[in-house]
Amino acid sequence: MQHQTRTAVSVVFPIVLACALLLIVGAVMGQPGSGDSKSAQKFSASSIQIEPTDPGDVPLPPEFRVAIYENLIAQIEKTGKFQHVYRSGDKDAAGAPDLVTLHTTARSFTKGSQKKREVTTVSGSTSLTLNVHITDHAGQPIVDRDVQGKVRFLGDNLRATYDFSKKVANIVRDTF
Amino acid sequence: MSMQNLIVDVSVATNSSRAARPRVWARGLFLLAIGAPWMFSPVPAHGQAADTPAAAPSVVQTDVKLVIGGETVKNNSVGTLSVVGSSLWFAAGEKKVEVEASSILDISTNEDSRQDITGAARLATMAIPYGGGRVLSLFSHHVDVLTVEFKNANGGYHGVVFVLAEGKAAPFKKQLVAMGAKASLPLAEPAPANQ
Repeated sequence: MQHQTRTAVSVVFPIVLACALLLIVGAVMGQPGSGDSKSAQKFSASSIQIEPTDPGDVPLPPEFRVAIYENLIAQIEKTGKFQHVYRSGDKDAAGAPDLVTLHTTARSFTKGSQKKREVTTVSGSTSLTLNVHITDHAGQPIVDRDVQGKVRFLGDNLRATYDFSKKVANIVRDTF
Repeated sequence: MSMQNLIVDVSVATNSSRAARPRVWARGLFLLAIGAPWMFSPVPAHGQAADTPAAAPSVVQTDVKLVIGGETVKNNSVGTLSVVGSSLWFAAGEKKVEVEASSILDISTNEDSRQDITGAARLATMAIPYGGGRVLSLFSHHVDVLTVEFKNANGGYHGVVFVLAEGKAAPFKKQLVAMGAKASLPLAEPAPANQ
């Protein structure tokens, strides 16, 4: 009886160990942000033009649209990835040879309340989600993803636009 | 000899009358030198970008916060917003922002609320025990938000957001629209001010 148990353990243990090893290897290989894949997707451009936010069907207040735009300009300039950051309609952008264009389209918007946030901590957060679309000079997409901006605890509602712009700047850093 | 002296005397007399002329000229040149800077000093013309507005402002509001978009003016600066001539002016200390009414693509007003206690004082209230800081968060006031979207001289799109006391944004929108600014939404009738 004892011999049978020992045999069972000696058979089952290597199988369990092999499965565990396979799972670990699979998890490591399946990591989306590994160093090689990041460096392989780097693009190069000397200038970027930022278009105003398209509110789409979302009732995004004008002050949020403007705050998103101005924060994007500031944060993308701060990345230092481009020699020129052009505003929409800037006549000088027409002469830029390798210009990329950043478009943002509103997907959802929830206006919270600063008072609620600070009194309850758990409710009243402001959140906005926008589609970020970066295209090259020929119009081919380089980046196309949804990004969320939030203000949960402290700060006024417009701070969600700053959070969003910081995230977009990180995407730009990873892409260029 | 006497003839020579006479001649000499005449020449001396002529020289003395001529010597007075350069003095007059010198005085004239001196006055011209003093007056020239005043004569040629630049006087700001109507509608021209200048350090200070030339005409009297038609709408003025103090304690206005420029939240974002003030290029040379830092975000969250507090200053005076006014409509002078055909432009919207914001001045915070030495820094100024001027937006020509004709360059405004859209102007809108909105309402929001702001906490009465902000900044360092706000952080200090977090240290109050038994949730006292949270009670202080209940104190807030309504404000108006004025959003201006415009084009710069190079055609580039800009936006600037101001926060004003309640009911103070509408006169700015009304005045700027009358001067040629575009507005996608018509101006709503202002609500009666709470006295």
